[in-house]
Amino acid sequence: MTDGGTTEERSTLRRWLDSDIVQSSPFWLPPFLLMGFFVYAAIGWNLLLSLTEYSGFGDPDYSNLGLHNYRAMLDDPGMWAATRNTFVLLVGFTVVCLIVGLLLALLLDREIRFSRSFRTIYLLPFALSFIVTAQFWRWMYNVNNGIVNQFIGLFGIGPYNWLGSPKLVLGSVIFALVWQFSGYTMIIYLAALRSIPNDQYEAARVDGASTVRMYWRVIVPQLRPAMVSATVTLVLFALKAFDFLYATFDGYRPRRGADILATKMVRESFGRSEWAYGSSIALMLFVLSLGVIAPYLYNQYKRGNL
Amino acid sequence: MVDGNNLSRRTILKGAGIAGTASVTALAGCTGGGGSTLEVLHGWTGGDGADAADALFSAFEEEHSDLEYDENPIGGGGNENLDQTVANRLQGGNPPSSFAGWPGANLEQYEDAVGDIESEVWDEADLKDAHVEEAVELCQHNGGFSAVPLGSHRLNDLFYNVSVLESAGVDPSSIDSADALIDALDAVESETDATPFAFSLAPWCILQTWAQTMLGEHGYEAYMNFIEGNGDESAVRDTFEKLEQILGYINADAASVDFTEVNQDIMSGDAAFIHQGNWAAGAYIADDKDLTYGEDWDAIQYPGTEDYYTLHIDSFIYPSDNPTPDDTATWLQFVGSEEAQVAFNQYKGSIPTLTDVSTDEFNPYLTDTIDDFDNASEKPPTLAHGLAVDTSTQADLEDVLNNNFADPYDVDGATSGFMDNV
Repeated sequence: MTDGGTTEERSTLRRWLDSDIVQSSPFWLPPFLLMGFFVYAAIGWNLLLSLTEYSGFGDPDYSNLGLHNYRAMLDDPGMWAATRNTFVLLVGFTVVCLIVGLLLALLLDREIRFSRSFRTIYLLPFALSFIVTAQFWRWMYNVNNGIVNQFIGLFGIGPYNWLGSPKLVLGSVIFALVWQFSGYTMIIYLAALRSIPNDQYEAARVDGASTVRMYWRVIVPQLRPAMVSATVTLVLFALKAFDFLYATFDGYRPRRGADILATKMVRESFGRSEWAYGSSIALMLFVLSLGVIAPYLYNQYKRGNL
Repeated sequence: MVDGNNLSRRTILKGAGIAGTASVTALAGCTGGGGSTLEVLHGWTGGDGADAADALFSAFEEEHSDLEYDENPIGGGGNENLDQTVANRLQGGNPPSSFAGWPGANLEQYEDAVGDIESEVWDEADLKDAHVEEAVELCQHNGGFSAVPLGSHRLNDLFYNVSVLESAGVDPSSIDSADALIDALDAVESETDATPFAFSLAPWCILQTWAQTMLGEHGYEAYMNFIEGNGDESAVRDTFEKLEQILGYINADAASVDFTEVNQDIMSGDAAFIHQGNWAAGAYIADDKDLTYGEDWDAIQYPGTEDYYTLHIDSFIYPSDNPTPDDTATWLQFVGSEEAQVAFNQYKGSIPTLTDVSTDEFNPYLTDTIDDFDNASEKPPTLAHGLAVDTSTQADLEDVLNNNFADPYDVDGATSGFMDNV
């Protein structure tokens, strides 16, 4: 302990212990390890599982890896239907939500009477859980005594089997989801609108622009960043519409025409114990989500926001 | 405050960081330890199921007051949550002592995760002679016994509202074929405002009604051939054609309601017939309803299945690698006994699988059912509840129905789907 050599070593150790990375490790290391293990390692393990033939009880066999699950997907008509429905839900829901949210935001931005109350009313559905809203829409969409059919019946239309008909069911689900999420989109837009300086409105007015023209040419173009972030959130919500479908159809087997990748993934894994096939669907979903989030992250990175 | 500066902000932060790390480590180390108490999982959390489970466990306490146990009911999703919990625990090497589930082909999915209790339970308690041979056979797995039956629901009852049929001028005893049923449904439609055939288009409901139609129209042999994978295509097709006609008389909201909702219509006189497992009768018998068996509601057998008792069985299953092998054997011996089966089934609306059982505790409807059970010429296993085909085949059949036969009805698609998947 007293000879010169160890002193040298000790000072190296001391330096290392004093370095920023070690000093700060109590703060970043635990979340780093937890995230690394529970998220990224789990994704990696999921990828590995999807290459096996793991099904039923027992342990997976890692000695014979291959892409057979992904090949099986190509021959599975249910997979095609689920992928198509996922895309329709994704695009339909996101686009309609953005449009409705924008219109509501512009309306409330006009300082109409009771605008605060309206804002609360529009945002309220977003505060409810999927389980509640799904039950609620089940009643609303009931063929015999649901309020939707009662209402359109006043105009001599219907009744329609909103959740029962394979042709209508996806549209009905999208409508219910739009109802729930357009309030959220509205709040995002409204925040962006409030941050636009008043003099821009005034300048447009002075130049003689009509209200519609003023919004269309001057204000709306400035909402792009808000739109991008709202889109990302909405798409991720759409990919996770599982809970809504689960609650609406009382299980993970939705009516034909409303099956999405998330419900199929859970059905294959937990309904049939086809763990490997379920994992490969999960990976498809992961790639889809990545496809949405990656351009956004890259864009933010290039603008220096990350 | 005097020495306040001795604790620099950096030290405090460091301390906080270490505390954080420590708590995370503690959290990660927190993997639940296993006790060695008898733990029983089941899915009876509400209504008559919960009453029945209470009766079962009280009877167990009475008989084995010295034995500590842990009852763990997991409800929701029509046993989906229970099955998932069981699967996860068997998978994770943390099996419960015993869990409720269907015997028969349903056991195949568990492979070696369920064990053999032939000598400890079946021989020890002399259960092989006490239970009907079908139940004994269905509890076998991997060359041994992995389950003990608790009770049986009947799948081929066709329930009806007596006064609706009277006002439609239909004589239920004359309905002995699918065609006769269709005539009766037609009469109800034209003579009354009631829904002729109350139905839920949930895939498992379509599957169980398809199975009874197959049994009724083509008989026991054809049905057994089908579930064994040697089905006759023309019989399968004909069954779908008949079923399509029958489903032409169902309620408009069948696609979005479950059977408990449409069952209300039978009680209120807004529907004439319903085909369900006889758990449906639990609602008619419930105390707050003023309905009398034989006067307000009654049942015939699904047309063509008059001599059969379509068998459903609830059982308790024995996981291998059992945490409490001796206590679990005690529990399972009890499950197969008359005390347990009478206590449970009188509330559950099902009947014991024992060959000789006193009917004193059972209501008139169940007494009739027990009588039929004793005298049935055949007891074919139900297709929609795990007995006849393994889990993934059953899921495949339900998928075929959901995609081809849940309004609109595609006989060709459904027929080829059924032929390909069994």
